[in-house]
Amino acid sequence: MSGEQQIMLDVRDLKVRAGERLILDGLSLAVRAGEVHAIMGPNGSGKSTLTGVLAGRPGLEVLSGSATYFGRDLLAMPPEIRAREGLFLAFQYPVEIPGVNNVYLMKASLNALRKHRGEPELDAFEFLNLVRARLAAMRMDETLLNRGVNEGFSGGEKKRNEILQMSLLEPTLALLDETDSGLDIDALKLVADGVNALRSPSRAIVLVTHYQRLLDYVVPDQVHVLAGGRIVRSGGRELALELERRGYDWVQDGTAAA
Amino acid sequence: MNAATAIDRIAASHARLAPRLAGGPEWARRRGRALETLVGRGLPGRRDENWKYLDHARLAGYDFGVGSRTAVDPAALARARLPLAGARRLVILDGRFEEALCGGEPLDGVTHDDIDALLGREPAAALDLLRLPADDADDRFAVMADAFTDGGVVIRIAAGSAPPRPLHLLHVTSAVRPAAHHARLVIEVGAGAKLVLVEEFLSLGDAPVFANLAAELAVGASADVEHLRLHRQNAAAAQVETWVARLDAAGSYRQHLVVLGGRLIRSNFRLALDGEAAACRLAGLFMADGERQVDIHTQVEHCAPRTRTEQDFRGIATGRGRGAMNGRIVMRPAARGADASQTIRNLLLSPLAEINARPQLEIHVDDVRCRHGATTGTLDPVQLFYLRSRGLDEATARSLLTFAFCQDVLAGMPLPAVRDFVATQVADILPDVELMREQA
Repeated sequence: MSGEQQIMLDVRDLKVRAGERLILDGLSLAVRAGEVHAIMGPNGSGKSTLTGVLAGRPGLEVLSGSATYFGRDLLAMPPEIRAREGLFLAFQYPVEIPGVNNVYLMKASLNALRKHRGEPELDAFEFLNLVRARLAAMRMDETLLNRGVNEGFSGGEKKRNEILQMSLLEPTLALLDETDSGLDIDALKLVADGVNALRSPSRAIVLVTHYQRLLDYVVPDQVHVLAGGRIVRSGGRELALELERRGYDWVQDGTAAA
Repeated sequence: MNAATAIDRIAASHARLAPRLAGGPEWARRRGRALETLVGRGLPGRRDENWKYLDHARLAGYDFGVGSRTAVDPAALARARLPLAGARRLVILDGRFEEALCGGEPLDGVTHDDIDALLGREPAAALDLLRLPADDADDRFAVMADAFTDGGVVIRIAAGSAPPRPLHLLHVTSAVRPAAHHARLVIEVGAGAKLVLVEEFLSLGDAPVFANLAAELAVGASADVEHLRLHRQNAAAAQVETWVARLDAAGSYRQHLVVLGGRLIRSNFRLALDGEAAACRLAGLFMADGERQVDIHTQVEHCAPRTRTEQDFRGIATGRGRGAMNGRIVMRPAARGADASQTIRNLLLSPLAEINARPQLEIHVDDVRCRHGATTGTLDPVQLFYLRSRGLDEATARSLLTFAFCQDVLAGMPLPAVRDFVATQVADILPDVELMREQA
């Protein structure tokens, strides 16, 4: 079925360097609308570099290869244009920005996206109603809205704040970088609910995760194993379970053997 | 033009002006001695440790001829000044107290005296009252103000009084033509009094004016002073100010200095914590954008047990702006159990911008706590990326982070009306004004 869909994100043979280190070494990945992909891999395999380079994180140098988004060169777009075109990155370590009001950022962000799409900007009242509804769904305290962005938030609150932003911005392509790590089971379910609510035939989601636990709640269409800067194995849901059972050494050994 | 010719011009202006000034022979002698001292010391130069970051050529380029006072339209002043409803307003115009521009309901317990009138009426008393300049080589501009002593104001807050509304003191220059103005200011806060003082520096015209203020502040035992100081002169103005302040036992003094205007601003603030458990907090924010140069020097001397200092200074430089922040804290042998902390944070927003931060701790006693930290850097690239990844363009993201950098100092200001006004002024300097206004 999904094979009929146009490829939304098409990464081909991507090589990326951070400083002197080669991190992605010929990575290819194709994501179609409606799909959920899980990317798993050991620490240091390049998972965060992948989401980072797709979102436009500075300090990463693309040596070769390509990444297109609806056929357009994603890597040539400034980060804000990627965001306005519907790409969203939930950060592994959401940044604390004291002095920038959390709800102000969300409103500025949503309105930047709406403006880009030629839609009218929301006024303060409309926005507050919207954000309150989403906040309740994430079971977040309303006081978090008027704090500095992520300022003094607990680890779980930061992750939920990312999902809150995601649910407001309703991205076409959501990249979640280890959003599940460090969450207790209740928070994990909330995050999973947020992700599942976003699932639709017109959207795609890429979950980067170290553990398969999140995949109990967000069932992926495809699972990829990232090792040594490239995808060494792809499969269905069962691949995640096998990884869980056999550990990453199994695939890394497999790479060596291949 | 070099410093020598500037001194010559200052002496020439003095020779023209001195015979016409009030105060009789004793003041003529005092002004003459001050001028001699000034000429002997010369203007500070690059080799003076505490003046090395100042653009001396720029300073020497000002007209040091003392200008006469120009009448200003009260409505123009009302439009230009900080809107501070309910405040009592006192005005120094072109270096002299200007009763006609003062306004607002007088405050119980607050009295003032025009120094010009005082010089004519009680010259001997004025000699005792105006104690500056101290004998310190760094006080050359205070010596200069002494040599030109003509006008200014003495403000007294009666012991135990607590005026319910702020006192708004305006330093205004008409700035219709290049000129120099010197003013004296004395503020005495009686024991146990509580005061909120808002000081504002304004120019009504665009001309390059050199303004020099010599000020003395005495805060009595257990008195409590909030002091907001807002520099918003025109982009051609030079302002030098020299403050000598002291706090008695258990006195509390909190200063919020904001510099958003002028072309060359030099602020010297020297504070002695003379009484046991006297406490001060000095917070400051300056913005050196365009060609502006801001040079802030503070010195806090702990002279008694259990005295406390807290300092938090933030500087921003962009364009070709230059800043210097020199914070000296001295712990005298009597300062047992004293506590001082100092934070200096600077933000450089362009490759040609420059800020020099110099924390100086001088400790002559064992039993004290001192902490200090100074950082100068650029905007955090990770924070910038985070904001851009949310769809904000780079200019907006940079403005937002710059504004955020100012927030701590703004948040500490006691009067919401002043805080909001300053926030808007800061936002106006940054690109993408609309967005910033909302955040402000």
